[in-house]
Amino acid sequence: MTQSNRSLQRAGTWLFYAIVALLLFLWLQPLAAQKSGNTIIQRTIGGVMLGSIYAIMALGIVVINKASGVFNFAHGAMMMIAGYMFFSFFNTQAISLVAAGLLAFSTVVLGFTMGGWRELFIPQRLITALIIGIILTLMMTSGGTEQRWLHALTGAVTGAVLIGLLVERLTIRPLIGQPIFAAVMVTLALNEVIRGITTLIWGSQPKSLLIFAEPHPFLPDQFVRIQTPITIEPTGLLGFLEGPVNIDQPRFMAFLLALATFALFWFFFRFTNIGLAMRATSENQQLAQSVGLRVRVILAITWAIATVMAGVAGLFYAGSSAASSIDTNFHFVILRAFPAVLLGGLESIGGALVGGLIIGLSEEWAKLLFTGDVAENLAPYIVLMIVLILRPEGLFGEKRIERI
Amino acid sequence: MKKLSLLLTIGLLVALFAIPAMAQDDMGLPDWMEHTECTEDLSGMEFTLWHIGDLSGPYAPITQPLVAAFEDAAQWYNEHGGICGATLSFPDPTTIDTGGDQEQTSVIYSRVSSEQPLAIVLYSSDDAELLRDQVAEDQIPVLISAGSIEGLYGGEEDNFDNPGWSFATNPLYVDQLGFFCEWAAENIEDPVIGYISWPSAFGRAAFTPEVIAYCAEQGVEFVETPEYFAPGSDISGQVQNLVDAGANILYTNSLATGPAEIAATVANLGLSDEVTLAGVNWVLDTSVGFLGQTALGADGLPAVNGLLGSMPFAWWTETDLPGVQLLTEQADRNERGPLTRNIAYILGWQTVDLYYEVIVQTGNRVGFENMTGADVKETLENLQFSPLGMVELDFTDGNRDAKMNRIAVLRYLGENGGPAELPDNPPVVVEGPNGPVLVPIVVPLTDYGETPDLRPGQMEMEE
Repeated sequence: MTQSNRSLQRAGTWLFYAIVALLLFLWLQPLAAQKSGNTIIQRTIGGVMLGSIYAIMALGIVVINKASGVFNFAHGAMMMIAGYMFFSFFNTQAISLVAAGLLAFSTVVLGFTMGGWRELFIPQRLITALIIGIILTLMMTSGGTEQRWLHALTGAVTGAVLIGLLVERLTIRPLIGQPIFAAVMVTLALNEVIRGITTLIWGSQPKSLLIFAEPHPFLPDQFVRIQTPITIEPTGLLGFLEGPVNIDQPRFMAFLLALATFALFWFFFRFTNIGLAMRATSENQQLAQSVGLRVRVILAITWAIATVMAGVAGLFYAGSSAASSIDTNFHFVILRAFPAVLLGGLESIGGALVGGLIIGLSEEWAKLLFTGDVAENLAPYIVLMIVLILRPEGLFGEKRIERI
Repeated sequence: MKKLSLLLTIGLLVALFAIPAMAQDDMGLPDWMEHTECTEDLSGMEFTLWHIGDLSGPYAPITQPLVAAFEDAAQWYNEHGGICGATLSFPDPTTIDTGGDQEQTSVIYSRVSSEQPLAIVLYSSDDAELLRDQVAEDQIPVLISAGSIEGLYGGEEDNFDNPGWSFATNPLYVDQLGFFCEWAAENIEDPVIGYISWPSAFGRAAFTPEVIAYCAEQGVEFVETPEYFAPGSDISGQVQNLVDAGANILYTNSLATGPAEIAATVANLGLSDEVTLAGVNWVLDTSVGFLGQTALGADGLPAVNGLLGSMPFAWWTETDLPGVQLLTEQADRNERGPLTRNIAYILGWQTVDLYYEVIVQTGNRVGFENMTGADVKETLENLQFSPLGMVELDFTDGNRDAKMNRIAVLRYLGENGGPAELPDNPPVVVEGPNGPVLVPIVVPLTDYGETPDLRPGQMEMEE
């Protein structure tokens, strides 16, 4: 095929895309015109806030994929179990010292033996592990219900780290050197196992996750979701608004926290030694090993961090939702983050943010323009399909060139 | 001495016969139950009432108490002589849990049907629709709490008028909505209903052209397009769409977290004063009352306070009814917590009582040894019965669902008795399994009345 033919073909393809885009615009514009400006603004803000939480979910998947090449289908289940652990620590009046100690020391032991069991027998490490274990146990148990936030955060993070380390040690590590497909299949199995364990421990009843809450007016020591919205008045620069715009306060708080979390992880990957080591390992494991990086340790840390991220995303999503509760179907939420990951690019941290926001926006706009649940469910995948047709590696993914 | 020995022997013999007889009498069912007398003693036999359903998915908050009801009811009936002396049993719940997955329903049904049960209990309309043809082929009657038209009477190919093998103890969901419209027309100004439900057969079951036409006749309008949402998803967009389209009533065919989420969203959007919330009988369930406590409405009470719904059977608060007294007594005895004392617990007991009556009637008619599912179905088709005196059932003339209904409202118990109202009657706080809770109560607003029959082709509509 000559150069001019190829150019002609490319021009034809772009013309086709342009016509499709035009038709899409002509179809959607009248639908949007039926909605008030304020409703559109409100839903757009809603989409951005929702998208920020999807971005945290997507980031966890990207981090694992970058480090090990595995697409983690168990991320939703990890979100769910971390949420349940938070619930337990938040709502238990007197946390058992034995249970907390067991959780803390299991995590510490696994953490200190990431490179091998022998590491635990180095006296200095053993003492450090003991001290950290005791501190964690005390953080989970000391004080009364007024310390519930500390208990819950420590318990959920420790539990999430333990799950991440266990998953890596028991299922991913034995598969190093095996086809990636095997590890991906393992994550599918893990999803079911974690779901089963969650149901076994916590049952099937929904559990309240009131993290964006204020004291309940009637129930002592209980909470109620913050109800007062943040109202943007149509004054000054915002005089173009048709009326006040209400923003759900818990969602807004989750949005701010999600952005802060995202920034924190971005900083971690860019500027900390371990973050840089994780990035190096993700580029090329063998090369990383040859320059002295301990790949196994880094992989373990990656899984632990990704599970913590899953937990954070789960808490933000469930905690800021209208019901502020979590149940055993919660892991399905991750189906929204999958298109965000693919959209942004499997290896891109920034892509996770952009992908999450696009998916959140497409979902909210679909809700706005179409009634019923079909459009809402389809929109993220249609957007994904369009982007992948135009850019198969995702918006920020790396273009892979296979040399034959 | 001989006389004394003789007298003692006779006395002993009398005691030997009389004591078990007297004990048997004590062990029998109470008179108010009005069950058919058994013609045979079936001691040594066992009847297993199989049930298949979602115990760990979205229906879990209501179905877990159903299992508790089955356990408590089996214990009580067996202590009171079983079914004509035969033991009543239930399968291990862990072996019949579908988790809300219809593939699992099919798999579990295959296993259960191979046991050739005389009847099975299904929990959801989705399952009843899925298995409608299969149970007919296998000749297994189904007992279900409530159902969709397709599940009970067939789809378009059956002209919606082919009564199947499923028998419901609540009115059809369409009929419940029609009944609500009758009430709304008289009690709400310019009523416009926005329909918002789960995207399942259950969720979609009440929104039909017949309901819309019937409600329009009563003076109740509908927002043209319904909204559906997956459990747990953000629904502010859907709620806003319906309100923007003119809805002042949001009606839902969802349960547990569903109504609680809608109420919380309405409150979050500051629409509590503009919108009345209503729904199917499940919205009045205790689970909604507890799950809804985490979001407050404009009146300062939980957002679900004031939720309207159908109440076709007696409720826990109607303590003058012996059936309610029995359930309360047994729930106390088995230390069932406030979350278990819900609709499903009531329906579980009613189902067992219905099964008892149907088995006895069928056995008396055809003999207990060779009784089949087809015989049980025949009994059901001619049955007029009130399980535990808490709901009226009449399955004659091809009926497959209950026809009596009433409208009730979900409230919270106030400190001065009656429904809580601020500031004069603050809500009562009691200790629940996970800390203090408010006490949801259901207050009937109407007497029982007959529901309209809104199956396609059953009602003449005005042009």
